Amino acid sequence: MASLTSRVATAANVNEDDGPPALFKAKLNNVRPLVNMLRAVGFRTRVLCTISETGLVFTVDEAQAMVAQSFFRSSLFSSFFFDASAAAAEDDQPEYVSEEGDSNNEIVTQVTLPLDKLIECLTLFYGPGSGGSSGSAHGISTSTLLGAANDLRGATTAELEYKGPGSDFELMLEENGIISACRLATFEPEPAVNLEFSRYPVVQQLIMRSDWLRDAFNELDPTSDAVSISISATEPYFRIATIGDNGSTEMTYARDERIVDAYFCNEEMENRYKLSLVLRCRSALAMSDKSKVRVNQRGFLCLQFMIPTNTDVSFVNYIFAPLVSADDEPADLQT
Amino acid sequence: MRFRTVVSNSNLFLRVVQSIDKLSKSAILKLTEDKLHIVVITDVDSGLQLWTDVLNDALFSEYRIDSAHGNEIYLEFSIDNLQRALKSAQGALHITLKLTKKQQLPVLSLIIKNQSSTGRELTLTQDVPVRVLTPLQMENIREPMVPDGHVHIMMPPMNSIRSVADRMKTMGDRVAVGANNCGEMRIRVANDLVDITTYFKGLENLNDDPTQSQALTGRRPNDSRSDTKRFFTAVVDMKNFIKFLQSYHVAPKNVICCIIENHALVFYVYIGSTGFGAGSGMINDNCGSLTYFIPIRQV
Repeated sequence: MASLTSRVATAANVNEDDGPPALFKAKLNNVRPLVNMLRAVGFRTRVLCTISETGLVFTVDEAQAMVAQSFFRSSLFSSFFFDASAAAAEDDQPEYVSEEGDSNNEIVTQVTLPLDKLIECLTLFYGPGSGGSSGSAHGISTSTLLGAANDLRGATTAELEYKGPGSDFELMLEENGIISACRLATFEPEPAVNLEFSRYPVVQQLIMRSDWLRDAFNELDPTSDAVSISISATEPYFRIATIGDNGSTEMTYARDERIVDAYFCNEEMENRYKLSLVLRCRSALAMSDKSKVRVNQRGFLCLQFMIPTNTDVSFVNYIFAPLVSADDEPADLQT
Repeated sequence: MRFRTVVSNSNLFLRVVQSIDKLSKSAILKLTEDKLHIVVITDVDSGLQLWTDVLNDALFSEYRIDSAHGNEIYLEFSIDNLQRALKSAQGALHITLKLTKKQQLPVLSLIIKNQSSTGRELTLTQDVPVRVLTPLQMENIREPMVPDGHVHIMMPPMNSIRSVADRMKTMGDRVAVGANNCGEMRIRVANDLVDITTYFKGLENLNDDPTQSQALTGRRPNDSRSDTKRFFTAVVDMKNFIKFLQSYHVAPKNVICCIIENHALVFYVYIGSTGFGAGSGMINDNCGSLTYFIPIRQV
């Protein structure tokens, strides 16, 4: 069976061998897992895409105080090609931060893409009204949102191709014999803010079921400016609270093994974060089974969401800088 | 001027009116001795136009029409009003349609006779206010003249086109619709950030003008012209293309697309007495057609 690219080339009467060879080329049997991982960080119009032999990382940031990263491994593709030597030949290998937040010396190429348009193209065959970028994740069950990611019936297949800086990002999609060729404008990669989470020791950690955390976020007062998160070695072990115009909300949780695994707390701390930024993670949270909450010594918060992908899992990280208030902490927050 | 008839197929009448419902608030009904015509003009210069005709015999019986202008009557009406009136007539024992005056104003009156559960006859009258057009006004409304099409091709299944178009509609305000004589169609939309072309293959070409029904029954196989792979394309307003795609609930199986490059897109939907869309064997059942004219976008 001729590759999708050559069939489109035939249809468009174009010689596919024109131009430089591809720096990156990959195929997917089903676009759904990729769509989900993009929707998990889908709240901005531009995304930084980092391509390496390990796979793709999609990074968005906001207000210099929050970074979100979605990891899509090369093994999730049915075929994956990345010309590392050609990429290395480019000037300025960027400082690349990996899944665990460590600096990594892997050869990469980076490009900034229009995220909303990318998602709209990938969901071209989803049918009317299936929602574009964000897919409105709030309050929807995980299974509905993932849309039977393992179901290959009626699936859109895709070929992705990128020839390097200055080229468009190309997608060839196919479903039921209908082929769509999409070209996305690319931009100079804009580095995301590096919040250096891993540079400082993690002092607090817990892993909980995402449905619990989802309920907690649904209860928060959205008019409040800040949300405070505290983990303690004594009761209440985990506390999320807001104070807003409509009053205050507080959720506290016991160290109940049904809810919480892998808990440790080396240092008592309460930190506050901008609520509107924290709530950006709701799409990723909605799609995930488990969430890992970590706080480092400087009070930076990392939420890591584990999302089922095909028969495996993928991760999305959200890192938040704490609010440093000029005023003292309001007394009511310390119960 | 006089008009009175018995409506023998109110279901078909309703479906014709329902299919034009989303296009506009009002339309023009042209009643003649042998056919019923409905004209919807969304915008005289740049908008989509729909010209519908149905044989009277497929809708009516005991048909009587009388006017000073060649026994033709032209009425402007609200689509929603007529649709609601026809809906309430579904399943009735007997339906009469006539032009009359109520409180000095012209109306199309639908007299609907039903039988109650006790066997009593119930009569319901629905009045649809109309504006009678003068022959001079009607002269100004003429079916657009289009040159012969460059290519005629059967549209892909409407469901697939609709879902793709739904996504593409946010990408730009104009769309390029092209087809060739090899059964291929392509639809393209582009803006600063994204350029999408969708290809459909394996479609059937028709070599003759579909307004001549004999030509369809005697369809020639695609002859091998020297340039059959060449695409003919018309660039139209996305808004008009979407209006056409959304304009009927029941997706007919066969819609013919005719592309006149640099001029217009024309879509033909044939009406059979049992439903919309004529298969290759069903042309003899043809009792009417819906013709959509979409002019190319004026730069």
